[in-house]
Amino acid sequence: MRIDAHAHVAAPGHGEVEGDPWGRDKLMIQAADALEIDHLCCSCLAASRPSRPEQFIACNDQMRAAMDEFGNRLLGYCYVNPGYQKEAVAEIERCVTGMDFIGVKLYNEYKFYDPAVRPVIEKCIELDVPILHHAGHTWHPLPGQPFISDAADLARALVDYPEAKVICGHLGGGGDWEWTIKALRDSENLFVDTSGSVVDDGMIERAVDALGAHRMLFACDMSMCAGVGKILAADISQQEREMIFSGNTRKLLGGRI
Amino acid sequence: MTIDINAYLGAFALRDLRCNTPEALIALMDRKGIDAALVSHASAITWKDCHRANELLADEVTNESRLIPCAVLNPAYAGWERDLNTCAHDLGMKALKLYPHWHGYALGDPCCDAIVRAATDRGLPVVLPMRAVDSRQLGWLFDVPDLPAADIAALARRHPTARFVVVNGIGVAGSALAPSDGEALGNCWIEISRMSLFIGCEIPRLLDNPGPERLLFGTGMPFKYVDPVLLKLEKLCAPEEAKRMIAGGSARSLLGVAEG
Repeated sequence: MRIDAHAHVAAPGHGEVEGDPWGRDKLMIQAADALEIDHLCCSCLAASRPSRPEQFIACNDQMRAAMDEFGNRLLGYCYVNPGYQKEAVAEIERCVTGMDFIGVKLYNEYKFYDPAVRPVIEKCIELDVPILHHAGHTWHPLPGQPFISDAADLARALVDYPEAKVICGHLGGGGDWEWTIKALRDSENLFVDTSGSVVDDGMIERAVDALGAHRMLFACDMSMCAGVGKILAADISQQEREMIFSGNTRKLLGGRI
Repeated sequence: MTIDINAYLGAFALRDLRCNTPEALIALMDRKGIDAALVSHASAITWKDCHRANELLADEVTNESRLIPCAVLNPAYAGWERDLNTCAHDLGMKALKLYPHWHGYALGDPCCDAIVRAATDRGLPVVLPMRAVDSRQLGWLFDVPDLPAADIAALARRHPTARFVVVNGIGVAGSALAPSDGEALGNCWIEISRMSLFIGCEIPRLLDNPGPERLLFGTGMPFKYVDPVLLKLEKLCAPEEAKRMIAGGSARSLLGVAEG
């Protein structure tokens, strides 16, 4: 089984291809079919950020509609801007308890260790759902992302929340992956997804050696062949490959799949 | 026959590489079903006198007929004309690779035109990596932008008899190299390793224009895993003849490699 732990459905009004409003998401499903990906854990991000509550609510409604459209192929993360604390917490409650979402997606509106994010982290602990966090560490500024969190920022926040379950997004799309692996090492409740277009040889093996396969989740973040190919290529045991492809995500989601 | 147009030997300045000796690279090729590879030396990307890397490369591939040597030269550095002659006539190099942004010049500079003319006179295709490393991964010492497709297209138009190979590229479909509303440049070949098969569908778009005879299989090994591009080729919806052309037919014609 293969479960993509980091994917996206199109933002509201941005998914049309050749007149089909679901066209862009159908292309993702076609890719998943070809690459034997059974489930995709998706979020729907606002087309412009930082998002306001009405935007992230509309995105989550779009995510739910996509789950209805494509059946059990898609699982939904609830996307919020944690700066709107009251609205964000209410939206997480609405999505997880009322709409069957599996977790929360945070993007780059706030550093994860910012006190503004604490109510969201605490809500996720209460509901026992993971947070997938957009992340990256580069040595030159990323335009438009002054508050992007890196692995060390995630680890810093988790010192106070050892019971939280957080996924560091896109090891292969977040800049210096060697730095990221080292920064992740000491936080056992910090997982990493393998997504991103970067397919540097040795990346997966280095992460397995440093973190253990049990902390790694297969994902594509829309770089579909890159996502699958790097896991197939890695010189790891079959048991480790199966853990990464699906076992760890299934465990993290507490039997939801 | 599968030919990797985008492979390397030797050490790289910014990180450790596995399978970067001839023996290890050949073993990797055997495991992945790759028959031959055009290889350049990874150290040439950052060394000031990159011709020294060509000499090392020539020594390393002497007894490996499956590894086809590719020179790297810097036309902004002293003595490149003599080094090019050595590469073409003495060292058996079958192509010339340029790294303008790593070597301190631009595709529009006169020195670039001069080396393209000289390579073409010697029958060598000119390989242009759009990037050597993802810019997000560069360390604090380097800030090297990608080569813009428009600049490559302008160079190709200035040298209509030259043959250009774009490797590690993305965003080529719809660019000046392969416009959506016109014919792709006839003297450019395009390697597919970074391009999307699904969702963005860049490879299928390039299959229409410029067509399979201008598309090349390449991996970036040992910088990169080989399997992602093997998957792209395997899953590509195209006639088998078109897939054979991408896998090796186009490269055989370009490099003059005999079947088998």
